[in-house]
Amino acid sequence: MDAKRRNGGPPMGGESQAKRGKPVGDWEDSPSTFEEELALFDESEMEAEDREGQAGHDVIPVGDLFSADLNPRWRRPPADPLNCDSDTLIFQQIDLDYYLGAAVAGMPGQSQGVVPIIRMFGVTDNGNSVCCHVHGFAPYFYVPAPNGFTSVHLSEFKKELNSVVLKDMRSNKDNISVTVLAVDITRKESMYGYHGKRISDFLRITMAMPRLIAPAKRLLEMGFKFGTFPMQNYSSYEANIDFEIRFMVDSGVVGCCWIELPKGKYRVREEKSSGETDASDPGKVSLCQYEVDVGWTQLISHPAEGEYQRIAPLRVLSFDIECAGRKGIFPEADKDPVIQIASMVQRQGDKEPFIRTIFTLQSCSSIVGSQVLCFTKESQLLQSWAEFLRTVDADIVTGYNIQNFDLPYLLNRAAALKVNLFPYLGRVRGIKSVLRDSSFQSKQMGRRENKILNMEGRVQFDLLQVLLRDYKLRSYTLNAVSFHFLQEQKEDVQHSIITDLQNGNEQTRRRLAVYCLKDAYLPLRLLQKLMCVINYMEMARVTGVPLTYLLSRGQQIKVVSQLLRQAMKQGLVMPVVKPESGEDYTGATVIEPEKGYYSVPIATLDFSSLYPSIMMAHNLCYTTLVQKGSAEKLGLTSEDFIKTPTGDQFVKSSVRKGLLPDILEDLLSARKRAKAELKKETDPFKKQVLDGRQLALKISANSVYGFTGAQVGKLPCLEISQSVTGFGRQMIEQTKQLVESRYTISNGYQADAKVIYGDTDSVMVKLGVDTVSKAMEVGREAAEWVSSHFIPPIKLEFEKVYYPYLLINKKRYAGLYFSSSADTHEKMDCKGIETVRRDNCTLVANLINTCLQTILIDRDPQGAVAHAKEVISDLLCNRIDISQLVITKELTRTAQEYAGKQAHVELAERMKKRDAGSAPQLGDRVPYVIIKAAKGVAAYMKSEDPIYVLENNIPIDTQYYLEQQLSKPLLRIFEPILGESKAESVLLKGDHTRCKTVLTSRVGGLMAFATKKSTCIGCRAVLKNDAAVCDYCKQKESELYQKEIFHLSTLEERFSRLWTQCQRCQGSLHEDVLCTSRDCPIFYMRKKVQKDLDDQEKLVSRFGW
Amino acid sequence: MSLERTANNLPHLQLKVAMFSRVSGSREGGCSLMCRPGSEDQDPSVFDRVKPAYSPCTERFRLGDRSFNRQYAHIYATRLMQMSPLLTERAQQKWGAEVQIKKLCDLQMGEQCCIVGTLFKHMDLQPSILKEISEEHNLLPQPPRTKYISQSDELILEDELQRIKLEGNIDVDKFVTGSVIAIYGAEKNDGKFTVEEFCTADLPPQTPRAVVSTDRFVLLVSGLGLGGSRADSMLALQLLVDMVTGQLGDQGEQSGAATISRVLLAGNLLSQSTQDKDASTKAKYLTKKTQAGTVEAIRLLDEMLMQLAASVPVDVMPGQYDPTNYTLPQQPLHRCMFPLSSTYPTLQLASNPHQATIDGVRFLGTSGQNVLDIQKYSGMDSHLEILENTLRLRHLAPTAPDTLGCYPFYLKDPFILEECPHVYFSGNAPSYQSRRITGADGQEVLLVAIPEFCSTQTACLVNLRTLECEPISFSSFNAGDDEESEMNISH
Repeated sequence: MDAKRRNGGPPMGGESQAKRGKPVGDWEDSPSTFEEELALFDESEMEAEDREGQAGHDVIPVGDLFSADLNPRWRRPPADPLNCDSDTLIFQQIDLDYYLGAAVAGMPGQSQGVVPIIRMFGVTDNGNSVCCHVHGFAPYFYVPAPNGFTSVHLSEFKKELNSVVLKDMRSNKDNISVTVLAVDITRKESMYGYHGKRISDFLRITMAMPRLIAPAKRLLEMGFKFGTFPMQNYSSYEANIDFEIRFMVDSGVVGCCWIELPKGKYRVREEKSSGETDASDPGKVSLCQYEVDVGWTQLISHPAEGEYQRIAPLRVLSFDIECAGRKGIFPEADKDPVIQIASMVQRQGDKEPFIRTIFTLQSCSSIVGSQVLCFTKESQLLQSWAEFLRTVDADIVTGYNIQNFDLPYLLNRAAALKVNLFPYLGRVRGIKSVLRDSSFQSKQMGRRENKILNMEGRVQFDLLQVLLRDYKLRSYTLNAVSFHFLQEQKEDVQHSIITDLQNGNEQTRRRLAVYCLKDAYLPLRLLQKLMCVINYMEMARVTGVPLTYLLSRGQQIKVVSQLLRQAMKQGLVMPVVKPESGEDYTGATVIEPEKGYYSVPIATLDFSSLYPSIMMAHNLCYTTLVQKGSAEKLGLTSEDFIKTPTGDQFVKSSVRKGLLPDILEDLLSARKRAKAELKKETDPFKKQVLDGRQLALKISANSVYGFTGAQVGKLPCLEISQSVTGFGRQMIEQTKQLVESRYTISNGYQADAKVIYGDTDSVMVKLGVDTVSKAMEVGREAAEWVSSHFIPPIKLEFEKVYYPYLLINKKRYAGLYFSSSADTHEKMDCKGIETVRRDNCTLVANLINTCLQTILIDRDPQGAVAHAKEVISDLLCNRIDISQLVITKELTRTAQEYAGKQAHVELAERMKKRDAGSAPQLGDRVPYVIIKAAKGVAAYMKSEDPIYVLENNIPIDTQYYLEQQLSKPLLRIFEPILGESKAESVLLKGDHTRCKTVLTSRVGGLMAFATKKSTCIGCRAVLKNDAAVCDYCKQKESELYQKEIFHLSTLEERFSRLWTQCQRCQGSLHEDVLCTSRDCPIFYMRKKVQKDLDDQEKLVSRFGW
Repeated sequence: MSLERTANNLPHLQLKVAMFSRVSGSREGGCSLMCRPGSEDQDPSVFDRVKPAYSPCTERFRLGDRSFNRQYAHIYATRLMQMSPLLTERAQQKWGAEVQIKKLCDLQMGEQCCIVGTLFKHMDLQPSILKEISEEHNLLPQPPRTKYISQSDELILEDELQRIKLEGNIDVDKFVTGSVIAIYGAEKNDGKFTVEEFCTADLPPQTPRAVVSTDRFVLLVSGLGLGGSRADSMLALQLLVDMVTGQLGDQGEQSGAATISRVLLAGNLLSQSTQDKDASTKAKYLTKKTQAGTVEAIRLLDEMLMQLAASVPVDVMPGQYDPTNYTLPQQPLHRCMFPLSSTYPTLQLASNPHQATIDGVRFLGTSGQNVLDIQKYSGMDSHLEILENTLRLRHLAPTAPDTLGCYPFYLKDPFILEECPHVYFSGNAPSYQSRRITGADGQEVLLVAIPEFCSTQTACLVNLRTLECEPISFSSFNAGDDEESEMNISH
């Protein structure tokens, strides 16, 4: 159903948020703003703890979680017994979290009270699931030791801190008596700024639980007094690090790496009945096949190299639900039943899913290749599906928009039906899955409201979220996405039909089931095609964060994780800085473009990985930054440091090598290695892994620069980011000068080279040569020569030749791309030209695209002009397919809530009056076209439903489309070719705009009173009867007939091709096509051809057969 | 129309001849119908054209009021409904009366059974209108192909409700979408059906043909390609017309020509080059004044038909490039385009497919679209083989509507063969081929692939007495490698 493909549906059920106490982002009623900020950073951490506390009371006997008859295929392969004295346990860790629990006897760490325990979930090579409890790791942070502090003061400090923290607690439900576990003196150095390698004493304060870090830090910062030392404000270091990241950094674990537990170093947990359990020797708490305890120093984490690059046979479950909504109302979980749930399970690396199951409410005919499970009671259906999920024990749960629709709906529905055993979807028995709202903001993606559901040990990998993050698309419906990536259309059943199908018989329900299965299947196909799982795993490995972070967190955490790992090696600590927004700095430079159409090869020279290489070349880092005016103080001579174009100072690597350059070097050399391996590798699966890795490495390297510039980030450093762009600007200018000074006629070259455009990291050069191969040759030489003027690893590379090249404006250009071969172009490269903008109709994108192709590929600018004229004429003659004129906007609020009147909102209101059932709902995307109306009618009143327009022959406002939609983009691409003044007169005026078709609407106005008389097909003379032609035209009858019959035959061909295409797409020959996917380019076309054909048929039949 | 029918049913030759002479008298060079060419004097030898009994069977492929507010599901549904009793019977003949005939929804894994259903062939290379119109992907146009088959093609069987993938003993390349067959085998673990054997509906029952005492011929011609650029074919065409009208050869040949009792033109009277595809896509301001590309060629055709119809009854079927509707069944060409020839009652404007009984011999055939389409979507190349195949499937055009344009029929599928023809033909073949086959119940069928005249200058003659067929070539240029004498029409 498409009802759920909406981003912000109405909030479903509020009970779960109530439990959460104050919602995130509520800034007012908190004791200190900073704690609130911290809470925002460490939101997941804090909540993880809360959750554990509340769930601890639910003890669910394992038998209750599995009762249904099982298909033996569902279960994981049987696990061989594990002997901890003789067997080594190796597994790939895929999820990692922590909880607070009682200490387990024999494990390191604090033995009293509740302690934080890290929990890793994973899968062995045999496909057995593992839950591993890691003990003995406690959270800590640093503060600089006050002057005169020695080890004798440690206990005093600890005692005082402990007592103030205890006092600060509003409630103490866990009965904590010890908050500060230890205070040690360590020799560390602050990461921020160069201060002459002054290593100083830092106090490392170890706390009992992660959530105590924040108050301890706050109290220390606000002023802390102990013993004989005076009241002092302590700045804190590394106090804002997620506990999981802290653990992973310290133990060398990266996301999705392989973990080895050597024999004799771990303990296996056995199944125990609730009576036998004892806090210090607990039984199994998870549903995993193996459950073990281990000390945090005992486990071995293997870096992802060699054989440890492999991926365990993870189980990926994709599912989709259907609900029977009421007419005209978006399904509400407390009223509308869930009627079907389709699930597909695939092992990572396999080609096809090996479990295909559909759970249906009421009977359903069997489906070949899939298991159909029918239920008469909805509660039974939900419970059995939850059992299915637990039995299959999926590692990764995917689907399309499951995060914001399917999962919340299931959970709320189960709550409404009181299916008590439903919400245990994770791998830990006692933990209930609950819903939370979260908002997430990043520069890259803007603000997003999301729902979060906890599922311990399973990674939720919502494909929609992945696509929203990684791809810029016109439309994100599953249909549009499948077509874009798989070239496969999906049948789209309107949600009003779903209920009818459900209320039919077992055959109609089967129809629905097949549709539902397809919706569960497509996400798997897409995951495979886009290699999402592999790429994300590689990203997790490279950056060292858990897989789940990649989808739920921003970019920063990835850099923090790497920064910490590097800092630890060098004994550096990272300060906590208050986020504050300062003024912006100058961005990248753009060399003013010399607009025009170039029919000669244009060579493009790029700085490869420009920003990372600048940082490496000039040793730009937190650790090398020399504070203004402190150079003399530190005794630095001018030999020791550099001054960047922005006036900031950094020491040279001879004085101190920076952390960031180190990280970048690692990343880039790892990328080089991965690329080299990729070249050698023959196994297609391993190739995918390596390609995923090199991509992850590239992205990571580039995100380091962004991290230093993120002003509300964890460690912004404007000096670095502005210096980087400063160098960038300088280099682009210098490149221009170098190229233009050397490649001149006076130096013996064919022509004077000219840099016609430059942006951020590339320059486009007109070398004055006339062939692509020549341009490549000179381009390569120039790149090498210019590179020699820069400090390595900065390197200017010759990348491609554009031939021909259309330069429209800054960041707007198009060209044919030649790179590997001088003979054939690889693609048409368009930047910044109307192709993906969603508020345009597709006609614009299509026309611009075709014109560019004609200009560039066919090198026929005049042909492009002719084509544009034809399309304009077609538009005015009503010959453009209406799907190309449709504009789509999402209905996010009701009409009352919108400040101004908007076309799509007004239309939704009008459609509601016509038929409440099929009118668009809140969250739906409303497609509309602009129709002709009387003069002076407001633009927002001219929107109309495309189907209604087709059915009633309503004229389109072609002038609107010409002036508001087409003219600007068209003029933009043609102005460089035709010249500014001429473009408009050629394109928008002239013969082709004079022939218009005027339609007469079937509704409204005077049409009710008009009678239509037949006219002669030849000369339009009014006829007395319904013959085809008048007496005068009789002699031309044959000619006239042939023209009309030819038109009929063209329409018939279209009709048959369109409707059979829909049959193929829906996958059934014997059943009518129901699909109402408005994203499909065929949808309006097939409707229009039916109508046109009937009209033309009537016309031709006037000749008599 | 009514005039035409009554005239056809009149067995009185004299009436006709008298009429012909009246007409031909008005023509220049006014010789009487069967006289020796060029001779002005009264020649005593006048050969009466044999006049066969003729009953066109027009109803089947004629459409009255057409409506396009339907979908294609109905034609498949009726096809399956009409054909499944036949296939059930065949299946029981083949695998024993007790063979289990199941619906897919009742299928049990591993159980041996028989299933009747419509085939769907999934083909990666199949051209898709979706890809064509999707501008995002139009950077690489789909290369034109002569065949769309590939290694990855899959056969899927669909009954009223469900579908299942087929594997095993079934040759994917031999089958096309839309064929109704019965398969025998069992469903394997992976949701695919492993076929052991299959059967088709095979030849329908046949009414024995009437005994014809003398040699009488029907001349089958296809692909005249008027309006094309080939001058040689125009000369050959004129030779053909002259031969048929008895203006060629000596008396023997003329008497031979007189045994040609009917001429059947199987489609593509006009050349492909008359199809101005641009006209439908070009902007209106550029095409306002232009006329259809077929106008000149139709004028030529009218003249040619007049010459023929003045002398012999002619059946004219439209083909792919002729000005009528696109989808099968193509409706007869409109009379208004033939102001000259349509005055002759001997001109029979027929539909495509066309069915008629001539002297008790039942003719059925098409202008070739059905065969050409199957050729594109299967591994079969020989038109004759495909022709036989459709006969065995008992369906004229299985690929309609999937890849072959077809009217969205509602309650009938007129392409199912209910009665076995004696002559089963298709037009516009690359070369002449014919074969006689005998069905299981003694049905005798002559299969004819009528060659495209404009490229082969060849037509064929079917002897109604013996049900034999032979080609007749009018090639005027490559006489060297022409084994048969040009005018060999007497036997």
